[in-house]
Amino acid sequence: MPENLATRYNPQQTGSQPSATSSSYPNGNPALGYNPVGARNTDSAVPLHPTGPVLHNYECDGPAAGRLAFRWIYGSNIAAKNRDPRVQVVQYNEDSYVLRQNCCVHWEAPFTYLLFGNKGALLIDTGATPEANYYPLRQTVDAIISRWCDMRRRASLPLTVVMTSGEDIAQNQGLAQFAGRPDTTLVPKPLELMKRFYRLERSWPDGTGTIDLGGRTIDVIPTPGTHKDGVSFYDPYTDFLFTGDFLFPGKINISNDADYMMSLARLKAWKDSHPVKWVMGGHIDMQFVPGKAYPRFSTYKPYERVLEMEPELIDEALHYAQEAKGKAVMLIRPDFILLNNVSPDQRTKDWPEGVPNINAPRPF
Amino acid sequence: MDRRSFLSAAAVAVPAANALVTGVAQAAGLSSGPAIDFKSNLPAPGSYPKKWICGSPSLMDNSDPPVQVHWYNEHTAFLRQSKAYSYEAPFAPLYFGNDRILLLDEGFTQLRNDWDLRGIVDDTIAEWGKRHGKDTSKMELLVAFSHLHADHYAAVNQFFDRPNTRYMGLTHEEMVGFWGMTNFPEEKVTLDLGGRDILIWGSPGHVISEFTYYDTYTQILFTGDMFYRGRCYISFWEPWFDSMKRIIDFMDHNPVTHVMGCHIEISNKGEDYAYGMTWQPDEAPVELTVEEFRHAYEIAKTIKEPGIYFTGAVFLCNQTRGTTTIDKNPYKY
Repeated sequence: MPENLATRYNPQQTGSQPSATSSSYPNGNPALGYNPVGARNTDSAVPLHPTGPVLHNYECDGPAAGRLAFRWIYGSNIAAKNRDPRVQVVQYNEDSYVLRQNCCVHWEAPFTYLLFGNKGALLIDTGATPEANYYPLRQTVDAIISRWCDMRRRASLPLTVVMTSGEDIAQNQGLAQFAGRPDTTLVPKPLELMKRFYRLERSWPDGTGTIDLGGRTIDVIPTPGTHKDGVSFYDPYTDFLFTGDFLFPGKINISNDADYMMSLARLKAWKDSHPVKWVMGGHIDMQFVPGKAYPRFSTYKPYERVLEMEPELIDEALHYAQEAKGKAVMLIRPDFILLNNVSPDQRTKDWPEGVPNINAPRPF
Repeated sequence: MDRRSFLSAAAVAVPAANALVTGVAQAAGLSSGPAIDFKSNLPAPGSYPKKWICGSPSLMDNSDPPVQVHWYNEHTAFLRQSKAYSYEAPFAPLYFGNDRILLLDEGFTQLRNDWDLRGIVDDTIAEWGKRHGKDTSKMELLVAFSHLHADHYAAVNQFFDRPNTRYMGLTHEEMVGFWGMTNFPEEKVTLDLGGRDILIWGSPGHVISEFTYYDTYTQILFTGDMFYRGRCYISFWEPWFDSMKRIIDFMDHNPVTHVMGCHIEISNKGEDYAYGMTWQPDEAPVELTVEEFRHAYEIAKTIKEPGIYFTGAVFLCNQTRGTTTIDKNPYKY
């Protein structure tokens, strides 16, 4: 591309200025050039006529290219009349999938993540509903895996199923659907067995474990605080931190404030020493107006905040967790709410200074 | 019938002779079929269902009807909204008289295409008319509500084009005016549905604008959200306590079969179903006994501080709505 291409075009005339609602350029950004380095790290290099298993190189400079280009399903005013998919599947990139449970099947509407490597796939979290006819997680994951395997000339791919917390009934209920699945490893639910699974018996909670997917090694970071068996996962390919309900855009119920702070400090140290693009939580409670959350059990959330969180929010969470420590308090922040030693349905009159107080319209 | 003549015919202060009121209604030619006797063999017996519709684990797989219509007896229906249509799942009595029909509460869903309360009420009225040889098109439908909260009036506008129908306005003034009250909350007015009297008076406390409705036929006392089997959110303690006292005084002089509120938020083991839950498989009954009401009043007498008090039948949430509730973080360690 000619050096001056970017400056030759007037964004006003091409309509290529960034849109108000996203950072993307609707018609592309000429300033980035035609052959950005990230292209090398995508799976577009899969040969047209592969003769054997296709391997992918997950080494990359910066986060792998990928995009959450769609709106999440958000339930409906009348849950009984909802006709959205029971599991919404969004491909972030060819080796990373985000799945959301329909909130008319279960109000927690948890997110689960499916990551692929050369030697295995990893499912992070399993949703809030055990019944496969209500929530066909296993069937959905099987379909994604078999399509992925077809494309890469694989007969099969081992699957590992892990959870951000084995005790969290908003994330462990779908695990039973994978029982007896061939070539599948399930993380054990009891804390001691789980530690052994990650080889963390002696170093919990300060050490880290790894899950090798083949060219893509996921780090396991103990993050007790909302659950005594809480862990977060770091993917150096997408540069995502998967935090479950430890840190997510919603009402975070702190179950042990000392642990919560120490875990946040560990996450902060991790973020300072590793590139983190986004923190990806397990739910969304927040609305897109700052500081406002949907109540528990909502089955209609038309004004939801986006799922992804900027890594700087770890620092903010740490700062306010410090403030909440030792108190019975509900602390509202624009992107999350901390609840310590109070009811999960706590309300407060304390509105944070400097945050605009906007009420979203009534859903009906 | 204009507003003024409606008030004089429908609702008069108790001291006025009931016979006169009945006379006015019949003179107006409202009679629509064979007269039903609502004044003998009281209280009219009736029954509640063993189990109400109570939601499901997955709401999009819920197969309950949008409204459960339960006939308490042949002239009294109780409606319940499905939890898959609104987590509030409120109850709504439908009382039939010789000349008028009274609907108390209109659920938590506004639009007919979402939740066709109007169609269900029309069908229920038609069914009753057919069973009793009544021309219900000649009968008046009064669409009122227990109190001024959206989960009790959301569907009122579904009745905008229904002939022979009046519905309550959404202000305190219009609510009090609808029953012709000039001295809320003490004044008791009598609404004559045509041989079936409904006594109405104010019971502020949960909200300012709330009524208690006593049906002389079933002798059921309908207390809305001021007293129901769940978390009675008491916004204003003193008016609420006075409302309790007013009902106790009424019970001292009048027979009451049951007290009925608008929601169920407690299991049959006395456990709290948290605010917003949409699957309540072991619900306690909606109706409360007079003893349970009196016991709650005795406990209320001892309450001096804001807080949550369990009476064995209901949670009295004294000025806690804006701060906290009952349930705990189950993962605390």
